[in-house]
Amino acid sequence: MENMIMVQDIKKYYKVAKREKGMAASLRYLFNRKYEIKKAVDDVSFSIKRGEIVGFIGPNGAGKSTTIKILSGILYPDAGDVNIKGYIPYKQRKQYVKNIGVVFGQKSQLNWDLPLIESFELMKFIYKIPQEKYEKNLKQFSELLDMEDFINQPVRQLSLGQRMRGDIVAALLHSPEIVFLDEPTIGLDVVAKEKIREFIRYINAKEKTTIIFTTHDMQDIEKVCDRLIIIDKGKKIYDGSIEQIKNKYANSKTIEILLENDEKEIQTFDLNVAPMNTVMENLFAQKNIKDISICEPEIDGIIRDIYEGRVVLDDPTAEGN
Amino acid sequence: MGEMRITLQSIKMSFRTRLQYRVDTLVATLAVFIRESANIIAIYLALLKFDRINGWNVNEMLFLYSMLFLTYAFVVSLFADLRQFSDTIREGRFDRLLVRPRGLLLQLILNNADLIATAGHGTLGILLFVISAGRVGIHWNAATILYYIAAIISGILIQGGMFIIFSSLCFYFVETNSIRSIFYWNMRKFAGYPISIYHKVIQVVLIYVVPFAFVNYFPAQYLLRKADMANYNEVYIYIAPVVGVVVYAAAYLFWRVSVRRYYSTGN
Amino acid sequence: MRAYVEFAVKKFEDKMAYKLDFFMGIVNTAMMIVVYLCIYKALYGDAAYVDGISYRMVATNFVITLGLSHAFDYDEMFLEHKIHDGSITGEFLKPVSFMLRLLAENIGEGAFKIIFHFIPALLFTLLYTSLCPPKSALSLIAMFGSVIFGYLILWLISFIIQTWSFWLFSVWGIITIKNVFVNILAGTLLPLWFMPAALRKIISYTPFESIYFTPVRIYLGELDGAEILSGLAVQIIWIVVLGIIANVFWKKGVKKLVVQGG
Repeated sequence: MENMIMVQDIKKYYKVAKREKGMAASLRYLFNRKYEIKKAVDDVSFSIKRGEIVGFIGPNGAGKSTTIKILSGILYPDAGDVNIKGYIPYKQRKQYVKNIGVVFGQKSQLNWDLPLIESFELMKFIYKIPQEKYEKNLKQFSELLDMEDFINQPVRQLSLGQRMRGDIVAALLHSPEIVFLDEPTIGLDVVAKEKIREFIRYINAKEKTTIIFTTHDMQDIEKVCDRLIIIDKGKKIYDGSIEQIKNKYANSKTIEILLENDEKEIQTFDLNVAPMNTVMENLFAQKNIKDISICEPEIDGIIRDIYEGRVVLDDPTAEGN
Repeated sequence: MGEMRITLQSIKMSFRTRLQYRVDTLVATLAVFIRESANIIAIYLALLKFDRINGWNVNEMLFLYSMLFLTYAFVVSLFADLRQFSDTIREGRFDRLLVRPRGLLLQLILNNADLIATAGHGTLGILLFVISAGRVGIHWNAATILYYIAAIISGILIQGGMFIIFSSLCFYFVETNSIRSIFYWNMRKFAGYPISIYHKVIQVVLIYVVPFAFVNYFPAQYLLRKADMANYNEVYIYIAPVVGVVVYAAAYLFWRVSVRRYYSTGN
Repeated sequence: MRAYVEFAVKKFEDKMAYKLDFFMGIVNTAMMIVVYLCIYKALYGDAAYVDGISYRMVATNFVITLGLSHAFDYDEMFLEHKIHDGSITGEFLKPVSFMLRLLAENIGEGAFKIIFHFIPALLFTLLYTSLCPPKSALSLIAMFGSVIFGYLILWLISFIIQTWSFWLFSVWGIITIKNVFVNILAGTLLPLWFMPAALRKIISYTPFESIYFTPVRIYLGELDGAEILSGLAVQIIWIVVLGIIANVFWKKGVKKLVVQGG
């Protein structure tokens, strides 16, 4: 299938003023300040095909948002090329953005004091959406997201989850082919998150929409994404499927044991130290076991290990993406 | 055509927002009205004691001031989002505009209207005009009426252009509020008096740098012909109705150049 | 006490972080002085004295008043924001008085503006025009005391209105109107000498006269000897009265917040 998004060796550096504490330092700061270079995005490449859903993760300040901004045409990269559906986002802004929808999870675009529907109406005029298409999309989306109950309520009275659903609809009313979701589930409860995930999957399946989203929630990734890109300190450190990362980097197994006296025990074993049959032999020799279950490693744990440097990933460029 | 629809929707939204906070809207409008009246009261009290300032009597002063308020009422309904543009950038609202398929300046202009300030300044402007216009000896005929309307439009464009220029500076500097406060808000305050009373440097600034003199002083001189006009070239009076177009065009070009910087630095 | 000094110093340092604001603040102040002196000059025209007041006295009054109003330029919406976003409750847990802490921070900010905006601008102005000297060394010293009292009066008025945000949706409108009153009745826009007699009489029964005008009159020697003492006494009475009112509103507001949870 054709490549929708192609990103080649992009870099983005910022100059940040250093501020020190104390009266003398403040005075110095007033007249002569020092700067340091922050590498927000440092030589990142990837390509995404039509209809893929890609999860973008990384610790805070890793460069996720900067990358999304470059892809959505808000920022130029300092170096490298971006080509999305034949457009160079930051050069052909007006033409390009007709094809994308963007949700900034932390910054709502809805009018705080008015009913949701008013903000949607505004979108209709801004994106020149034909009335028929507007009505069809709105009807379909509000059914899928259960919005009928609150579409006429002022946004300030909505729960965070309801508001986020509104924001997502506002970004999708013009049926964009590519959608960027920057932390669309941040701060939401489990039910609201699940609603949004279902919706993302549905849109993707039905419209073949290409979707990139960033999140801190591994459940989002596991339930929605085909593919995972991990960014840390401005560099891409992983690009591949979730299965692959689980298989490749999980070297520990968690075992839940139910003893004869109905007590529960949970133990973790590193398979690099001892293979499974040795682990089992030892267990059976030491304890009276009623039942036993072996748990697959949680992706959460693996990602935490990667961020904290306990697991070192291979060079991503060697993976042939 | 599409722009018209956006404008209507935006105005409708601004109205409906304000209707939700009726009492607060009323108090705030009143507060703007009273705040702006303070300078008028001070001038009135001063002229009770001193009678004239450089030949201008109290009604002439009120007429001079009324043009500032009337033009600003329009400016603040059109360019409200450019008034605190550094906040627009800092809060990430500018990013939002960038991902919409419309002109940036157009979106900023259509986006938002400060109806409170419009009502406060507008009411005061109309009030001062009504009080003074019949008492300053202007012969209202087709020519003077046409000139007056052209001057008001020009005054709106001059101030709108300045809003655009000051907002463009946000792409170069982090802190621009102080520049704006000096060169816009203070200068506007100074423009409430006949500029002939000021130090030469300030006159130059008001004519050539932030051309508030063309918003009210020179247009008022066309209609009032006070003696202090002898200090200036007559031609200023006649170009006043077109200065707005020039300032606005220059501002637009500067914006186009400056906005490119945003793409490389973000916020 | 140490904690409050820290608050003031911290605020002072914060202000230094903004380079452009710093230089523009000086330009701004110098410009205000030059422009308003131009206006007074134009009002005076050829007259040497108006009602026995010389242009130089008016200029001196304006410069002192401007300096003091600079010290009083801070965010008066602070308490309202704290109440709206709920962070006010966190303040009650700290072992310092919120009221005094706010005063300390506002003084810190005011000190910054006086030292770095007003004084440089004043020196610049002195190149441009001459001002009246203080009547005597005693006048100068008494003025400094009177300035501090004047600041407290203005601060208390502002604080009282800020506490209304415990009950009102927004106090912005009322603060704006209050500032209009201060600008006119305390003589920021037009010296109180030139107010119509009836208005002047009314103002003398309000705290507004004590804010800027009492220090100016002490400096110029319009109040001398025993009059200085009575001027200061009036100021102190206002501080006590306003202080009591401020405390009542503050306590009631806090109680309302604690009982009803905002």
